[in-house]
Amino acid sequence: MRNYIIKRLFYSVIIAWGILTVTFILLRIGPSSPVDRYILNIAARGSDVESVRQAIEARYGLDKPLLEQYFDYMGNLLQGNWGWSFSASMPVMDLIGSHWIYSFQLILLSTIFAILLGIGLGVLSAVKQNTRFDYAASIFSFIGISIPNFWLGLMLIMAFAVNLGMFKTYYDTSYSIWSLENLRQLILPVLALGTGELAGYVRYTRSSMLDNLHKEFVTTARAKGLPERTVIGKHVFRNAMLPLVTIIMFDLGSVVFGGAYLTEIVFGIPGLGQVSFNAIFANDYAVVVAVTLISTFLVLFINLATDILYTYLDPRIRYE
Amino acid sequence: MSELKEQTRKKARLSVYFNKRLASYYWERLKKHKLAMAGLGFIGFLILLAVLGPFFTQDPTYSDFNIANMPPLGFSRQESVYDIKTDEFTTTVISGRLDHPLGTDSKGRDMLSMLISGARISLLVGLIATGIAIFIGSLIGVLSAYLGGWVDNVLMRFTDIMMTFPFFLLLVLIVFLFGPSLAIIVVVIGLTGWTGAARLIRSEALSLRTRDFITASRALGASDGRVMFNHLIPNVASLIIVMSTLSIPGVIMAEAALSFIGMGDPLSTSWGTILNAGQHTLDTAWWVAVEPGIMLFLTVLSFNFFGDGLRDAFDPRAII
Repeated sequence: MRNYIIKRLFYSVIIAWGILTVTFILLRIGPSSPVDRYILNIAARGSDVESVRQAIEARYGLDKPLLEQYFDYMGNLLQGNWGWSFSASMPVMDLIGSHWIYSFQLILLSTIFAILLGIGLGVLSAVKQNTRFDYAASIFSFIGISIPNFWLGLMLIMAFAVNLGMFKTYYDTSYSIWSLENLRQLILPVLALGTGELAGYVRYTRSSMLDNLHKEFVTTARAKGLPERTVIGKHVFRNAMLPLVTIIMFDLGSVVFGGAYLTEIVFGIPGLGQVSFNAIFANDYAVVVAVTLISTFLVLFINLATDILYTYLDPRIRYE
Repeated sequence: MSELKEQTRKKARLSVYFNKRLASYYWERLKKHKLAMAGLGFIGFLILLAVLGPFFTQDPTYSDFNIANMPPLGFSRQESVYDIKTDEFTTTVISGRLDHPLGTDSKGRDMLSMLISGARISLLVGLIATGIAIFIGSLIGVLSAYLGGWVDNVLMRFTDIMMTFPFFLLLVLIVFLFGPSLAIIVVVIGLTGWTGAARLIRSEALSLRTRDFITASRALGASDGRVMFNHLIPNVASLIIVMSTLSIPGVIMAEAALSFIGMGDPLSTSWGTILNAGQHTLDTAWWVAVEPGIMLFLTVLSFNFFGDGLRDAFDPRAII
């Protein structure tokens, strides 16, 4: 087990390094340079553009050969220095430090919402298989999977904020993160982001429960005279949850820069998604590489954690 | 004589991939799946709309500000105009007209023609990008499973790296660097979206590889290419078809999301582009945001229904 974890960590570092390198090269061979936005200002003032460009590039080491820049960047990174954001004029870590909480709260709340409701509905519809409730739940989950979350967000804003006036049409950053008002204004974003995940969990829970409902150990449990609650709640449910752990963990990793970003855009939430995409448009490579790296490590960590968690949840699984 | 032999050989080779009796058997099974047939019906309607629609509607880019924000047929909206000479508000009721049955947007463009243009883009992107992705995925999956050893190791580590990449961030990054043209969008989605297919097809091919008929054909002296193309791939064909159908929705959503955040091809009108404009007129012209979303939703839903039906039809264990 220990060897397995060490091997996986080693792989993780290699993968992260590969992704870092690809992102860095992609950004630095791109047609525009991070100093362009300064140059534009200077050109407007009528100064000598070329000399200013050279001065700024020399100041930040952007005039060196690409390979040298790459090694400089790697060297700084290994010392814990994530570089300088040109577009925000602050260290990358400060920029990320002040924005991650907005993404985190959105993802955390929508995941909790999706897991609780999704697993609940899934279990119920498996227990009541082929009833009206089951059909309704399965139609709902098909709709939830197929509805684009950014459009759902727009429709929610239109219905509840524009027409009914129950919410503000934008995310208000003046509230403190822990205040009730903040929680209230997250209702629509959480619904928009969580519905797709929720629908997925309903489907997976239902099919996983059905797989287990007709296994022999369930018949045994019933034959022992256990009450139905115990049979479903303990014997079926616990076994059915195993494959779901993977799916939920995978979702957690992938939602950060997929669904969450679009939701952030629609509701104007200044989270990491927005930060990274603004950085792309400003060719602010240090921010993009940092965010990509963080996301990569998150996914790799979650994958490893899932595999380790599995050995505890299911003692039959062993890694060599 | 040899010509006849060549013909029979060709027929035999084709029959590995297409068997009329088997196809009609699957079709009979698929027909019993009502939702899948409904999905297929809508997809057919969409294809018809995309192919024939432009002959009957006006140019989607033609704008006439005199008829801006006209509601769909059967709806009306009030418009108040302030007259500076008389210092009075005159309120007029604008109702939908037959020549613009789905209304117009804030630039006076016909919604119906824009939606038809969007259908073309979505189908085009969905089909071609999925084609590229599934082709790469099947190739990598089958090669990796069949050849095993270091090839498998290298290909799967590569797949791991691609899978860990924050997909949407990569998409936006590449489209930003290489310019937002439809061709780039299609190619990038295709080149990044194959990882799931590769893994699934690999695991399916791995279990097939140890089966007797593969061993038999190798014992009879079949080359690696022959085993792969005549025995392995035909046996994972149903999986490939289901995977393709179920990946189209994701691709269509990715394109819509890109256009929605303003990274779509500026020379074409896609559903995401319309949504992008529509999000600013939620209070005055709701139909601009509602209509493309409904089309997107129905399209994704149809492909999901159809793919689900296909999976059941191909699965010999499924009871239909």
